[in-house]
Amino acid sequence: MKECLSLVQRLSAHPDSRCWFVCWSPNGTLLASCGGDRAIRIWGREGDSWICKSVLQDGHQRTVRKVAWSPCGNYMASASFDATTCIWKKKDNDFETLTVLEGHENEVKCVAWAPSGNLLATCSRDKSVWVWEVDEEDEYECVTVVNSHTQDVKHVVWHPTQELLASASYDNNICIYKEEDDDWECRATLQGHTSTVWSLCFDGIGQRMASCSDDRTVKIWKEYPTESSQGDLSWKCVCTLSGYHGRTVYDIAWCRLTGALATACGDDAVRVFTEDPTAPPDEPVFSLAAQATKAHNQDVNCVAWNPKEAGLLASCSDDGDIAIWRFQKEA
Amino acid sequence: MASHFSGVLQLTDLDDFITPSQECVKPVKVEKKQGKSVAKIQIEDDGSYVQVNLDGGKQKLEKAKISLNDCLACSGCITSAESVLITQQSHEELLKVLRNNKAKEQEQKIVVVSVSPQSRASLAAHYGLSSSEAGKRLTSFFKGLGVHHVFDTSFSRSFSLLESQREFVERYLRREQDSKSLPMLTSACPGWICYAEKTHGEYILPYISTTRSPQQMMGSLVKGYFAGEQGWSPQQIYHVAVMPCFDKKLEASRSDFYLDQAETREVDCVITSGEVQKMLEEEKVSLNDVDPAAPDTMFSSVCGDQFLSHAGSGSGGYLHHVFTYAAKQLFGEEVKELTYKTLRNKDFQEVRLEKDGEVLLCFASTYGFRNIQNLVQKLKRGKSPYHFVEVMACPSGCLNGGGQVKPSSGQIQKEVLQTVEQLYREERPLLPEDDAQVADLYKSWLHSVGEERAKELLHTQYHAVEKMTNGLTMKW
Repeated sequence: MKECLSLVQRLSAHPDSRCWFVCWSPNGTLLASCGGDRAIRIWGREGDSWICKSVLQDGHQRTVRKVAWSPCGNYMASASFDATTCIWKKKDNDFETLTVLEGHENEVKCVAWAPSGNLLATCSRDKSVWVWEVDEEDEYECVTVVNSHTQDVKHVVWHPTQELLASASYDNNICIYKEEDDDWECRATLQGHTSTVWSLCFDGIGQRMASCSDDRTVKIWKEYPTESSQGDLSWKCVCTLSGYHGRTVYDIAWCRLTGALATACGDDAVRVFTEDPTAPPDEPVFSLAAQATKAHNQDVNCVAWNPKEAGLLASCSDDGDIAIWRFQKEA
Repeated sequence: MASHFSGVLQLTDLDDFITPSQECVKPVKVEKKQGKSVAKIQIEDDGSYVQVNLDGGKQKLEKAKISLNDCLACSGCITSAESVLITQQSHEELLKVLRNNKAKEQEQKIVVVSVSPQSRASLAAHYGLSSSEAGKRLTSFFKGLGVHHVFDTSFSRSFSLLESQREFVERYLRREQDSKSLPMLTSACPGWICYAEKTHGEYILPYISTTRSPQQMMGSLVKGYFAGEQGWSPQQIYHVAVMPCFDKKLEASRSDFYLDQAETREVDCVITSGEVQKMLEEEKVSLNDVDPAAPDTMFSSVCGDQFLSHAGSGSGGYLHHVFTYAAKQLFGEEVKELTYKTLRNKDFQEVRLEKDGEVLLCFASTYGFRNIQNLVQKLKRGKSPYHFVEVMACPSGCLNGGGQVKPSSGQIQKEVLQTVEQLYREERPLLPEDDAQVADLYKSWLHSVGEERAKELLHTQYHAVEKMTNGLTMKW
């Protein structure tokens, strides 16, 4: 039996602009999108279709590059080219600005909440990665500023269970950070991609990481125990997927429910890879299970698996649209 | 960070440091000679650029150069490009002056080196000496190279501390009329000053203490007092400061510290502790083998042949001194011991003076970029509870400065820092009020020049740097 990707719905999310990123709320009922029109839109399901529930417009002066839901689903953070990160609080059925985090010198490229909800990470074209701490009074304070990359930092993502942070950069590297002695340190630098690393994600238990790059490949990294307890963390590349993507791979998402890997590519396609369960753990094998070659009219910027409904995938593109897909066995 | 310079000249790897930007974005004005025809530009084997005119004639093209002054006036990066810092103020420059002195009898410069106590401690740790011993041997080493006077910036720091104390009390008393008089933020760290001027401008600058740093106090003493006393003009003196920090080079280059009439800087050149270690290596001497010399007592804080220091932090003890003084002056409280409460991390501490449950004074020290960020954001939101903050750009403060001697192979940075801190503290502290020489100078020199001139000699000012808006800084 073969799998396929079927289109559920297409939404004109950020018309006449780019849709940069989509993010599902933790309970999977809402989808947030952001774009070049400086707006954030919240989408919800009504009956069989997805409709726009609210538009958040006054938070930023330039492109909103990424949005992230807090693990409790009551807050949202947005990263913008205006050098700020906005924190939004859910109130009734709408969102209001809680605070604006300033400090990055220029464009903020990504924002991510730690699984505890107490820490927030941001990264920027200024080459730095910041970690912020939230207290009970919703006050945010900077915990660290780390300068481990030599170029623009594109993406930050937290480990699903530990306080471990990973970042991807224009300098072709991935850095992994951990708190050490009341400050955060880069504990591993993963080299292997030959061009910009655009995005990365952990698998459900956090033993592996998938990264995607301008070098048109996807790499799977696995954590190995280190000899000494003091030593740096050890992550090794155990699999490289090349030959599938015609252009830059902008985003990658690992489904926590099914283990499927989805990619967003500059060749306008959305692809889904599945793992061969019989392959040895140190040499995993992934194969292309399904693809939508003309998923969008332009570059696909982001893919996101719904955290509760297995196989439900959202993608968005430079054409301003969101597409909702269902990845399933062919009937 | 890629650097063309030898190890010692690279900024020490400090994660939480205001990093210099990798490339300079400052547009450079190039003087163009009039020409009527097209020409080709050719790159020669030695890397020089040559213009080949239509008639075949060749003309060497000049390289565009960025000076430290360009850096200070530009908002392109936070501090300056590393290369600019290092080529214009280095130990090579000092050696050049000393060589000239030997070659040309008539054009002698009086060479003065002022050594910071933090550099003394760093070199002491490297060579396994006490701080005082390192100070005496450095005096001997520099004099052996032809330096005329070796001073100690603990001495000029007494002026910085006394002026900070007075400035704070004066600001505290006008806090009702002037909303920007408090908190008073310290001014001794040039990295912090640069950052404040370039990114927060008029918003933060009024809070910053106008008191000069110990380096620039020494500048006043050497070129404003010592020169006159000795009957020399200020430019006859070549004044070098040995500092734990690269950004001190930038501070010395500020136009505020340039004597227009005499056409000279108060501090001509700043070299770091690490560069001094390099000088020693180039001369093939170990500080262990240098015979100690008696400290130069004119501008040094000494008791017998031991160097003295100040109480409080290794970054000058500003919080300690201002707190004790203000408690006494404003509330009549004698504070014997300060209790530091660690807040978010070890580089963010708080000290309070409480009476009957009321907080009379609330002081803090914030070191490192992350803590500076939180301080600035708190100030912007009107949520700062502080009257005074000792601000330093380096995590752990000046003893951990970017210009300190780097750990040798096998040494652990944190352990080296602990040794440096210990050696620094072993020097006996002196109350700035108790330094008779300092008191004499206030009387004999500063009182005689008039209040306005004294203010110029002991204080300085800050300038907001306009954000650059030209297209060159845009980068996708």
